[in-house]
Amino acid sequence: MSAHGFLIGAVLCFGFFSWYPICREIVMSFQKSRLGVTSWAGLSNYERIFRDPTFWTAWKNTLEFTVLALIIGYAVPFFVAILLNELRHAKGYLRCLVYLPVMLPPTSALLLFAYFYDPSYGLFNDVLRHLHLPVSQWVQSPGTGLPSMAMISVVIAATWMNMGGATLIYLAALQNIPGELYDAAELDGAGLFRKIRHVTIPQTRLILSMLLLLQIVATMQMFVEAFILTNGGAGVNNNTLSVVNLIYQYAFALSGASNYNSASALGVVLMLVLAVFSGGYLWLTRQTDR
Amino acid sequence: MTISVDCAPPASAPQQHKEWLEDVALFEKQNPNITVNSIFENPCEVPASFTAMLKAGNEPNVFYTYFTDKNQVLDAGQAADITSYVNSKTVPALKDIVPTALAAVTAGKTLYGLPTVNYTQGLIINRVLFKQAGLNPDQPPTTWAEVEQDAKAITKLGHGIFGYGDYSAGNNGGWHFSSEIDAEGGHMINSAGTGAAFNSDQGKAVLQALHQMRFVDHSMSPTQQLAWGTLQKQMAANKLGMYIAAPDDIYNVIVPQDGGNINDYGMGPLPSTSGTPAGSLSGGNDYMFAKRDTPAQIEAGIKWLVFENLTPGVGFYNYARQKADGFPVGFPEPQMFTGATEAKQQQLMTKSATVNPAYFSTFASAHELAMGEPADAQAVYKTLDPVMLEVLTNPNANISQLLSTATGQVNQILANSG
Amino acid sequence: MADSTDRSLISAAQLNRHRVAYRVVLTLIVVIFTLIFIGPLYFLFSDGLKSTQEAVQVPPTLVPAHVHPGSYTAAWSRVGLGRLLVNTLYYAFGALALQLVFDVAAAYSLSRLRPVLGNVIFALMLATLMIPATVLVVPQYVTIADLPLLHLNLIGSPEAIWLPSVANAFNIFLLKRFFDSIPGDLLSAAAIDGASPLRTLRSVVLPISRPIIGVVSIFSLVAVWKDFLWPLLVEYGYNPNRETLNVGIFEAASTTPQNLVLAASAMAAVPTLVFFLIFQRNILSGLTAGSLKG
Repeated sequence: MSAHGFLIGAVLCFGFFSWYPICREIVMSFQKSRLGVTSWAGLSNYERIFRDPTFWTAWKNTLEFTVLALIIGYAVPFFVAILLNELRHAKGYLRCLVYLPVMLPPTSALLLFAYFYDPSYGLFNDVLRHLHLPVSQWVQSPGTGLPSMAMISVVIAATWMNMGGATLIYLAALQNIPGELYDAAELDGAGLFRKIRHVTIPQTRLILSMLLLLQIVATMQMFVEAFILTNGGAGVNNNTLSVVNLIYQYAFALSGASNYNSASALGVVLMLVLAVFSGGYLWLTRQTDR
Repeated sequence: MTISVDCAPPASAPQQHKEWLEDVALFEKQNPNITVNSIFENPCEVPASFTAMLKAGNEPNVFYTYFTDKNQVLDAGQAADITSYVNSKTVPALKDIVPTALAAVTAGKTLYGLPTVNYTQGLIINRVLFKQAGLNPDQPPTTWAEVEQDAKAITKLGHGIFGYGDYSAGNNGGWHFSSEIDAEGGHMINSAGTGAAFNSDQGKAVLQALHQMRFVDHSMSPTQQLAWGTLQKQMAANKLGMYIAAPDDIYNVIVPQDGGNINDYGMGPLPSTSGTPAGSLSGGNDYMFAKRDTPAQIEAGIKWLVFENLTPGVGFYNYARQKADGFPVGFPEPQMFTGATEAKQQQLMTKSATVNPAYFSTFASAHELAMGEPADAQAVYKTLDPVMLEVLTNPNANISQLLSTATGQVNQILANSG
Repeated sequence: MADSTDRSLISAAQLNRHRVAYRVVLTLIVVIFTLIFIGPLYFLFSDGLKSTQEAVQVPPTLVPAHVHPGSYTAAWSRVGLGRLLVNTLYYAFGALALQLVFDVAAAYSLSRLRPVLGNVIFALMLATLMIPATVLVVPQYVTIADLPLLHLNLIGSPEAIWLPSVANAFNIFLLKRFFDSIPGDLLSAAAIDGASPLRTLRSVVLPISRPIIGVVSIFSLVAVWKDFLWPLLVEYGYNPNRETLNVGIFEAASTTPQNLVLAASAMAAVPTLVFFLIFQRNILSGLTAGSLKG
């Protein structure tokens, strides 16, 4: 069997179920449907979405979400992995714990968090009250500053749900670090943080960099977290509305077939942004590869 | 010949499922050349599914839509013209169908479907809490002043009980605001459909009443940003005195899903300053016909709809069977008919009633004018959500400013949709 | 693997010196992590044991006032969980089988057989990771309703879930990386013996790839298990006997009392948890061995 023979099955599936629909989506972004007639709309769908003030809010939110997700959702799994790697006992148990939320259906997990975040009756504020600490409105916080408490709340929920995978991958990578490097660092008088900076991080550089890209790309596509936590994705004053949530709104929540074409246009814009970003990132990191 | 019909109750709703299957069997016996292919789903319409199905053109022969979906279906070119198939012979109750319901499935002079459910909204009250607070549950409040008064009395009961509740998220805030302003005599959109009309005395009156209850009387809970589903739960748990809804909230949600007691609820008309609601946001569902249907299929579909949904005593209106199956009978919904057909419906309903119709008499006799939904309803509601939320969470909310900002946003939406 | 078990950040010697501190920290971590990761699950499972009235109460109660284990059995039959479980397993394992055949073959080809335009194809596959599912759902549905060239309608059939799942760029990426790291001499030895690519794949590559196949398998099963929007579009309503777990529970949520829905959700989460517990060694060794150098 030839090389292409091996490929054909996957390529056909990609062709029918990924590449072709993507092309259709791109085409739809240049069309409009009125009264059963689909016609060429040129760039009018794009113009419409650029004119919408929520468009810019959505991009600002997506950026904010991505940065927050990097700080919380990217750094936390790495440091948890480092922590777990140091323990000599209960490793199997802790690894399972961390991965458990990944297994949960997202709706179940998010309904739980919706309850936790309730400002009056939720568990979190209950605990804060018992500790005599100020309570928060969590997901319902109205602020639109950078960062907003609402956004932070969404990121915390998303991190809980998704960090297991990254943690396990980091854990595996950490186990591959040769012990002698740490010995050598200690001989040079390095303390804990020095060792992390000069041994752990450089040794896992490749996996860190790859997961960073994957994380950013995945985060910019997050939908269900904000959707369920804020009953539609927008939050107060649209402060949790991400680009994907806006696409959903255009496509399904605002009624009217023409808006579906706007959703397609926004989808294409998002695709382009992600492609440019990934391309740029890969090109930059290529220079510093071994 | 086969027709596919969706929105059939699935097996997870066992009694309705059984009744549907009985109806299909009976219909097929009466019409031996027609086979009904049921598509079981609940909820009947999921936005993503609906849009996808219209785009692919594979909706069932007879498919369920909300009144508000009309434009989407027409734009997708998926609605068949059934004007020539509908007359008083094929649809006996035709002249008695509420005009606004028929208008919802008509565009210009063309009829595209048959309405099956029509509702207006009223004020659902918790009779248990009313009695505990020393109020008369058979006389629900009709003016905002009375609502405020009764809400205060109920909130005094303590234990986390509040007198009044409303939505402010998930587009439901705007949805309720629409209804409240309609009752007040105002409008969401001007009659030409070109601009927002809610920045009016009526709009302000509604928001002021809500703001008063929340921040002056403290008869609304501090937890806001509520969306559909929450108020029903509070009502079922006897923690809420009043909220606005259509009657089916009681027998579709509060009792079966949230465990409420069927005899604990009553209804009055929508509150207004005058005490007589000028109208109510109304909505409903209908069935439309797929563009690809053959004439025979359209005729068969109409026969089925008349059998199942438009004849008192049969199918959906088989009250005797509903009572035997343990369903509540006696609710003033759907409000599909007028004239002789309505009289017949009422008579059959009273005969098999299991709840006391007196609990809903003030609502039913108000005969609220059905106002339909504004153009681009969902987008408009979404814009009003933050207004509702601000009024209910900010003690210093500037109502005039909120309404004028929202006016600008809604005008933009209407202009964009062209 | 061999040289990494010596020591990590903190050497064994240091650990011995600070025995007590270590024990304290260990206990703290176990307790905190249990609270954080299992705590929420407690609510999920206990809510199902409450009566309907209590389940919808706000604020929710910590411990059910009266335990109604009957809720779980009622949920099982009312929501038809048995049937839904079987359906979802059928979809999940079918998808897994197809992925193992086609994606492993594709990764092997891209990694070892160097087909013409292989890089382009791989890049196009990776590019699909850039597109959010919500965006693609409607065009995918329209495509599945009427496949181009073949004019087949797959809606309501299991293939509607199986075939699109093969287009999994992430799994192909993981597999390819692993295959890339297989020492060249192993493969050239097989080639010298005159083995065809297929033979090499079967006798040399697959046996040593068990870890990565384990990883890819769990990712694939979990993805199908958790998927909601796509099965909702293609299996819902058309084939009430073919719905997946998530869709079935969603449907029940509008017709069934709350506490039963919660019990059903709790039960729906169990199979994946059990699966993970059983196979966690394979999965973790898969993540360790070779697939992630450096």
